[in-house]
Amino acid sequence: MKSLSVTTAALALMASVATAQSNLDKMRGVQTTGTSYGPQFIEQGGEKAERIRRSLEAITMPDGFKIDLYAVVPDARHMAVAPQGTVMWVGTRKTDIYTVTDRDRDRVADEVEPYASPIDYNVPNGLCISKDGFLYSVEANRVLVYPAAEFFWENPDVAVDVVVPQGELIPPEEESFNHGARVCKIGPDNKLYISLGQPYNVPPKDKLDLYNEWGIGGIIRMDRDGSNREVYTRGVRNSVGHDFHPETGDLWFTDNQVDGMGDDIPPGELNHQTAMGQNFGFPWYGGGTVRTNEYMDEEIPDGVVNPAVETVAHAADLGMMFYTGKMFPAEYKNAIFSAQHGSWNRTTPVGARLMVTTIDEEGNATMKPFAEGWIDENGEYTGRPVDIAQLGDGSIIVSDDFAGALYRISYEAPAQ
Amino acid sequence: MGLGGIFLASSALSPVAAQELAGDPEVGRKLSGQCRTCHGLEGFARIPIAPHIGGEPASYIARQLTAFRDGTREHEMMSVVAKSLSDQQIADLAAWYSGHQATASLNADPMDAPSACISCHGEDGIALVEDAPNLAGETVPYIDTQLKAFRLGKRTHQIMSEIAAELTDEEIREIAEWYASIGLEIELVE
Repeated sequence: MKSLSVTTAALALMASVATAQSNLDKMRGVQTTGTSYGPQFIEQGGEKAERIRRSLEAITMPDGFKIDLYAVVPDARHMAVAPQGTVMWVGTRKTDIYTVTDRDRDRVADEVEPYASPIDYNVPNGLCISKDGFLYSVEANRVLVYPAAEFFWENPDVAVDVVVPQGELIPPEEESFNHGARVCKIGPDNKLYISLGQPYNVPPKDKLDLYNEWGIGGIIRMDRDGSNREVYTRGVRNSVGHDFHPETGDLWFTDNQVDGMGDDIPPGELNHQTAMGQNFGFPWYGGGTVRTNEYMDEEIPDGVVNPAVETVAHAADLGMMFYTGKMFPAEYKNAIFSAQHGSWNRTTPVGARLMVTTIDEEGNATMKPFAEGWIDENGEYTGRPVDIAQLGDGSIIVSDDFAGALYRISYEAPAQ
Repeated sequence: MGLGGIFLASSALSPVAAQELAGDPEVGRKLSGQCRTCHGLEGFARIPIAPHIGGEPASYIARQLTAFRDGTREHEMMSVVAKSLSDQQIADLAAWYSGHQATASLNADPMDAPSACISCHGEDGIALVEDAPNLAGETVPYIDTQLKAFRLGKRTHQIMSEIAAELTDEEIREIAEWYASIGLEIELVE
């Protein structure tokens, strides 16, 4: 009886299915999807905005820096800013990408709305844009590109093409929601770099060959049309933030380390890569130089690179960027701003703050807290920073997927 | 028609020790400190990856936590958290989270609800049988991931494995969008 009802149900369901692929195909063919074109703006005022503003009163930063609510953006994750600054895109771990605009340039967003809404996104966390204006969205298992994105974003039907088809970024049977939030950047070599977190806390040994082949637990790169894919970075657990040094062009990236080994080990990581193919030690090391129990007896591959900075255990270092703006004091030039999302099961929460890392002439990196105060007196989060982007005026934008907001941090020299 | 199969399935499940224990919701509330960053203090999830668990039956919560602990259900984070829980702690957590009321608000025609799902999970995503979780307001990626895990055999359940085996990606998306679009409120029952 049950089988019969299941079959009937499946048939009924099939009849009502409007395939997502067809909307994408229509848009690739420059046809309309028939999506109604009307504003679906996210409310920017009201009680929620007030509550977020109040939470920002607790944030402490070095003298002269100021933090304000920039936009209310639900589930805000990684960001890409248009080269000419007309719009920015914000990814989520759900099914939406949002555009954020500040038309009157008063440094507070006035419009937030879903982008390319006819496309059925699945964890569109990773966004990056090339200098010549091609936006890339990296989902759990697909990569799309939007030419001239800065000029064609207001209509829900956008110009779009496929870089990596659904199911070809990783084998579909390796899909997992956990560690499925990707990030991307265009490198100085004009290639598209994409992080691929591996799905496990510590992966079983029989998965390593497959993961090595695909670059799962690493960072891959490809030409911007999806060709010439190769594994650029190996030995990574789950990197959710990377950027290229403005002068050396080296790749720097954060990595989230193993859970379940206690509150204080292993450390999180900020890594510095100087050549293609380098291995950063996971899963032999669970973070820093702490061996994982599962790989304790395994031989560590030659040439494993240790982190440039070991960060506090379980703080969840995510998005990062090199600061190249002119607004902040000189000491911040080419410094890394990075976000710690905050721990999820540590006895006392740590993280939920912004860090700044300066790199000296020998390449030694030093990290210290920059903005703190998103954990309240009860040890509960009022916000969880995810990513950092820079605006044209040199101020920075911080995304927070817990509060559902973007913050703007600006600087004005204190009066003497 | 489908319900006969459900009761059959429930009785066929292996006994879960924590289900036999009386849980203390107050102790569970304190233990939930390690849950709340993701699932919220009252079981309304704070991250898209985590399901809303407030108002699920105690037996459902106990069964899932036990499965994570024993390794019969796997998740990168939950397997770590559940590893150290005793049967009594599982019962306490189940008592705390089940002591909430989940209320759904459906703003669509119930006739359009996915027919493969409604006999257990309800048109509005509030489950009609104890063995099934509520789905109201879960995110699309969460439901999508679970259905694909059942389809691939990464997660198994007598009924869900069979249903998911026949679903295409598009059908899974359709089901996920239906339940994700339903409003959900979770309140502590005093």
